[in-house]
Amino acid sequence: MGKTSIVKIMERASGHPVKEGDRIWCNIDLASARDFGGANCVLQFEKEMGKDAKVWDPDKVAYTFDLQAPSHSEKVSNNQKIIREFAKRQGIKHVFDINHGIGQHVMLEHGLIKPGDVVLGTDSHMNLLGAVGAFSTGVGNSDVAAAYISGKNWFRVPETMKIEVTGNFKRGVCMRDLLTRIIGDLGASGMDFLAVEFTGETIERATLAERITLCSMVTEMSGKVPLIMPSGEVLEWLVQRAGEEVRDRVETLKADPDAEYCKVYRYNVDNLEPMASCPDAPDNVKPIREIAGTEVNQVHIGSCSNGRFEDIQAAYEVLMAGGGKVSPKVRAIITPSTTEVQIACAKAGMIEKFLEAGIVFTNPTCALCTAEHYGALPAGDIGCSTTNRNFIGKVGKGSHTYLMSPMSAMATAVKGCIADPREILK
Amino acid sequence: MSLLKGRAWVFGDDVDTDLIYHNKYLAETDPNNMPQYAFEYYPGKENFAKEVKPGDIVVAGRNFGCGSSREHAVYCLQYAGGPCVLAETCSRIYYRYAVNNGYLVLFVKGISEAIKEGKIADGDELEIDTAKGTIRDITNGNEFHGDAVSDLENDIMRAGGLFPYLKAQAGKEKVEE
Repeated sequence: MGKTSIVKIMERASGHPVKEGDRIWCNIDLASARDFGGANCVLQFEKEMGKDAKVWDPDKVAYTFDLQAPSHSEKVSNNQKIIREFAKRQGIKHVFDINHGIGQHVMLEHGLIKPGDVVLGTDSHMNLLGAVGAFSTGVGNSDVAAAYISGKNWFRVPETMKIEVTGNFKRGVCMRDLLTRIIGDLGASGMDFLAVEFTGETIERATLAERITLCSMVTEMSGKVPLIMPSGEVLEWLVQRAGEEVRDRVETLKADPDAEYCKVYRYNVDNLEPMASCPDAPDNVKPIREIAGTEVNQVHIGSCSNGRFEDIQAAYEVLMAGGGKVSPKVRAIITPSTTEVQIACAKAGMIEKFLEAGIVFTNPTCALCTAEHYGALPAGDIGCSTTNRNFIGKVGKGSHTYLMSPMSAMATAVKGCIADPREILK
Repeated sequence: MSLLKGRAWVFGDDVDTDLIYHNKYLAETDPNNMPQYAFEYYPGKENFAKEVKPGDIVVAGRNFGCGSSREHAVYCLQYAGGPCVLAETCSRIYYRYAVNNGYLVLFVKGISEAIKEGKIADGDELEIDTAKGTIRDITNGNEFHGDAVSDLENDIMRAGGLFPYLKAQAGKEKVEE
């Protein structure tokens, strides 16, 4: 019987043969933390190990300031300062301060992530780095702080689910719609503790942005790690950033053809339509056409799931096809995922058009995933967002949110109520 | 201490970390300050933080602690004096926080349905034999059974969490040298 990708990755990381269900200790390639959680890691490490203790390898530690960037509270400002000073004392170079954007995206752009790397982070959406075949998973401050001691941590070797995707998206439909469909089918615990390999012709053709969308939302089904081994243009992009070693990693870590999967699902996207996660759970899924006309107060495009250049460009096309103005009934906000994405949007001439359309175009940050971000919703308001969660009260007590693709979100902003982008893109 | 007695606080399925400890309070770094915010956003359980007593036990359905990463969601219950969580299942990330802090999570088959059918309710007196994994609802006589925890997680939890475990391991290695 052949091996799945995660088994090969964990054998590499642990240095010995493993089987599903084993508890093992893996070497950590990168232990990252955010401006939230990061200060907790630093304080915990110093409390447990003493002020003079050194991290095992300063080049394998990173900090990303993305929860509140720039900080707008003294408490967060202080937490960021705690991290900066610790990094300085420890000789940690990888500090991506408030001018960078969402951690996983930034580390990926900076060539810090390779297929097969074991990456920790205090962010439940760390696993979107599975979009380039890394074993990256969300953990708490104890996990990261403990990894500072000797660069190791414990894991259970997961079983693997396979999702095979075929077909072509129709105009106005995209990877986010597929993902929303899958969450509706599998439910909030449908991938409990599992690794998930996405394969098939649709995935082979998918851009990095699409792969990130797909992988980021595995968390919403309680999956441990999604994996797509880089191929085609994504492979070339990653080689440019992270080096030639990426090619060998892909070859040695890809799943064997006779690997065994605990579950296999097949999707064809030819006839897929725009989908939405309705209040108050990501797995409360309906087609957009069933909720079209629902009035919303605010539209937000961005986040680690859908804040890439391609996502913003797709929204831009809908905006221009719809007349270049958002409805006066809604407040619209776009947040690029990184500075690199922001620059690309500027060069493409989109930012000026967004501003003229009446949209707030912000600096790169994590977007409206917490009520502490700009754009928090007051009680009674209905939001529409491309973020990954719409749990009750998450971005403001008494508010409710619909989650959807950047195209559907922009169609909604243009019409002033939930709308199907296919009607604008005709 | 293998026998725990406490009062039940009962929750449903898919309780996310924002309901346990809302993102509004993420900047907090001292675990001692976290219990005051526990379940503030959970409809109907807004008074949890005020009324919870040391020894009280959180009982939940499937996928407890899903959603965002924040260890605060364990600290806010642990530092309120709660000895454990009983749940049908809990999320991977929440499970790690619990193990790494020596906070017991028991996976209890059938408890999600039992909650929906009212067979275990707020205020019930519970008795838990952690060695055997048996849970008795003294108020109504119902019994439940928790799964055994795997060896490594059990060792980490019994050591009091990941840091005490690693320090003890480092000590052992020194002796062996």
